[in-house]
Amino acid sequence: MSKLLITEITRMGPAFCIIGLQHQNEKIQSIRPVPSFSNGWPHFPHHRGDILECTLTPFPGNKPHVEDRVSTRGFKKISAVPEAETVVYLRKSEQARSLPDLFGCPIHENKKGSGLYANPREAQRSICGCETQNLRLELCANELRATLALPSGEVLRDLPVVDRDWRDFVDAALAEGRGANRTARLERFLNSHFHYKIMSCPHHFIRLGLTRPFYDLCWLMLDTLFPLPRREWLQEF
Amino acid sequence: MTQIPPIGSERKHSLRHLVEECFRREAGLSVAIPGDDVDLIERGILDSMGWVSFLRGVESASGAGELGSALNDRSASFAAILGALQRSESRIPEVPSDGSGRGISKGVVPAFTVGSSSVVGSQLIPSEEVDRAFGMSIGKLRSRAGIESVARAADGENELVLGAEAAQDALRAASCGAQQLDWIVATSETHHDYPSLSAQLHARLLVRENCGALDVGGACLGLLNAFAIAQSLIGSGQAQTVAVVTADVHSRTLTPGRVAGEFGGLFGDGASAFILRREESTDPNGGYRLGEFLFGCASQYAAAIQVSDAKDGGLAVRFDGEALSRAAITRMEKVLAAVELRSGISRADVGGFATHQPNPRLVTLLAKQCGVSPSAFPPIAKTSGNLGSSTCGAALHAALQAAAKQARGKRQPIFLASLGPGLLFGGGWLTPQD
Repeated sequence: MSKLLITEITRMGPAFCIIGLQHQNEKIQSIRPVPSFSNGWPHFPHHRGDILECTLTPFPGNKPHVEDRVSTRGFKKISAVPEAETVVYLRKSEQARSLPDLFGCPIHENKKGSGLYANPREAQRSICGCETQNLRLELCANELRATLALPSGEVLRDLPVVDRDWRDFVDAALAEGRGANRTARLERFLNSHFHYKIMSCPHHFIRLGLTRPFYDLCWLMLDTLFPLPRREWLQEF
Repeated sequence: MTQIPPIGSERKHSLRHLVEECFRREAGLSVAIPGDDVDLIERGILDSMGWVSFLRGVESASGAGELGSALNDRSASFAAILGALQRSESRIPEVPSDGSGRGISKGVVPAFTVGSSSVVGSQLIPSEEVDRAFGMSIGKLRSRAGIESVARAADGENELVLGAEAAQDALRAASCGAQQLDWIVATSETHHDYPSLSAQLHARLLVRENCGALDVGGACLGLLNAFAIAQSLIGSGQAQTVAVVTADVHSRTLTPGRVAGEFGGLFGDGASAFILRREESTDPNGGYRLGEFLFGCASQYAAAIQVSDAKDGGLAVRFDGEALSRAAITRMEKVLAAVELRSGISRADVGGFATHQPNPRLVTLLAKQCGVSPSAFPPIAKTSGNLGSSTCGAALHAALQAAAKQARGKRQPIFLASLGPGLLFGGGWLTPQD
C-alpha cells in the first residue's frame, strides 16, 4: 500500500487527472495514479491535502510522464493536512526557478500563435513546482489562461488553467443565478482583488505540468495554483 | 446597445483575409474555412488551446490589441472575431489612404524616408585576426558564424563621428538643410555618456536650437523604436522633418579579456541615418513610405542574453548562444509573418528584408525558414559584423539603395524586423511611393 498526499486535481476534458506526493527513500516525489483503462478518473471525490491510501504498480510511465503509476485498487482517505502544509511538502519536491529547469529540457514557443511546448523525447518529467514573481489570470474568449513570471524573470504566457478548484470557482462566478454582468464582474475581480489575495499569500505556489503528447508535442499548463479559491470570495464581486 | 460605426467594404475584406490567413496557419491548409457562425470549439475544428492561439495570431497580425476580453460570452466563431475587430477598428481615426490599398494601414499617418546613409568603422579586420585577438581557434568566426571581416572604428572615430557622418550624408541625399530638422531621434547600444548622443549630434550637425533631441533605447531594436517615435512626431504634427540616427562602437567595450570571443568577436562598429518627412520626396526616384510598426517582448527568452556593469568596472555578460540563436530565428520568423499579414504584402513580393543580423549564419537560416531568397537580405554582418542598432539601419539603407536602381513602378516593399535583449522584438514595412 502507498500513501499519497493529493496535490493536483486537474480537469482534462471529461476526466480528472490526479497527482500526489509520496515519501520514498528520504525523497518526496510526485506520483500520478492512473486507472488501468485510461489516463484520467471520471470521478474523484477527494481534495487537495487529503492523504489517500492506494495500491500502485511499481512501473513508471513513458517519458515525460514518468510519474504515472497504475492504480490497481480504489482510494481510501486516511487523513488530511491543511493547505499551507501541503505547500510545505510541495516545496520539498520537484522545483525549478527557470524555464529549462522546469522539465529538464528546452521549452519552445508555438510558432503559429500562443502557448509553450516541450519535446516529449527531451522532457525528463511532466510536473514541476515553482515560485512566481507575478501571476495573472484572465478570461480570454471564454478560456481561463494564466500568465506568470518565474524567479528567473522568464515569462510564460497563455497557459491553460486546468486546476479543478479554480475552474470550478470560475464556473460558479459565471453561474446564471449570480445576476447580470457576470463576466465583467469576474474580470474585475481577476484584475484586482485576485492579484492581492494570491501574491500576498505566504503559501502562494504553483505547479506546472505537461500535457500528454499531442501531435508529438507536450504543452505547458498551469496544473495547480495555491492558494485555492474560497467560496466566500464570490460574495466580493 | 452601442452602435458600431461602419467601416469600408475594402477594409472588411482585408480583415476577413487576415482572419482566414491566421486560421489557416493554426488549423492547417487542409481544413476548410468554416462558415462565419460555426463555433470552432463545439464543432471540434479547434481545441481550446488552438482557439486561443488562433486569437493571439489575429491580435498580433491586426494590431487590434487584446481581443480575448471582447470575445467573452461570445461563440468561438469567425463572426465573433470579425465583429470584435470591427469594433476595435472603429475606435481608430481614419487617415487618408494613398489609394493603392496595399501596405497602408488605418491609423498610420504618412511619413516618408527621403534620404538615407550608413557608414562603418574605417578599419576592416579579417575575422581570423579577431579569432586570434580573443584567443579562439583560427577560423572559428568564419566557419561557425559566417563572418568574413569586422568593421572597427579607427582611433579618431566614435559614435558621434560615425553618426554625424551618416546624418550628413543622409541630409545631402535628401537635399535637406540641417536647419530644417525639427527633431533628432538617436539610438545606440554602446553610447552611455552625457551629453547623450542626440545632444552631441544636435551640436555637431548645427541644427536649430529649437530642434528637439531624443535618445531611445532598445539595443539592436533601437532603429525600429526610433522610427516609431519619429513617425508619431510627424503624425501628431509636432514635426515636419526628423533625422533618425543610429551609431554603435562595440570595439571599445567588448574587448578581449573583458568578454568571450564567441560574443565580443561578433560585433563591429557602424552608424546609419534616415531623414523622414511628412511630404513625399521630390526626387524622381521617390522615397519610401513607412507602414505600421509592431512591437513586443518575449520575456521567456530574457535569460539568453544579459549584459550589465560589474562592480569592478568590468562587464558581466550572460550569453547562451544556442538558446539565443533558436529564439532569434523563431521570433524573427514570427515577426515577419505578422508583418506579412498586417501589411497584406506577401513575402514573395518583398524586395528587401532589412532585419537584424546577429550573424550571417542565422540570416541564411532565417531566409530558409521564411522560404525567401537569402539574397533579399543585404549582407551586412558578413563583412562588417553585428553592428547593433546600426545593423538594421545599414541593411535598410542597402535595400533602399538597391531599390533606387529600379525603375519607378518596379520597386518592391521592404520588411523590417529586429530584436533586442529582453527579448524585445519589432517589425514593420515600407512601401515605395511609386
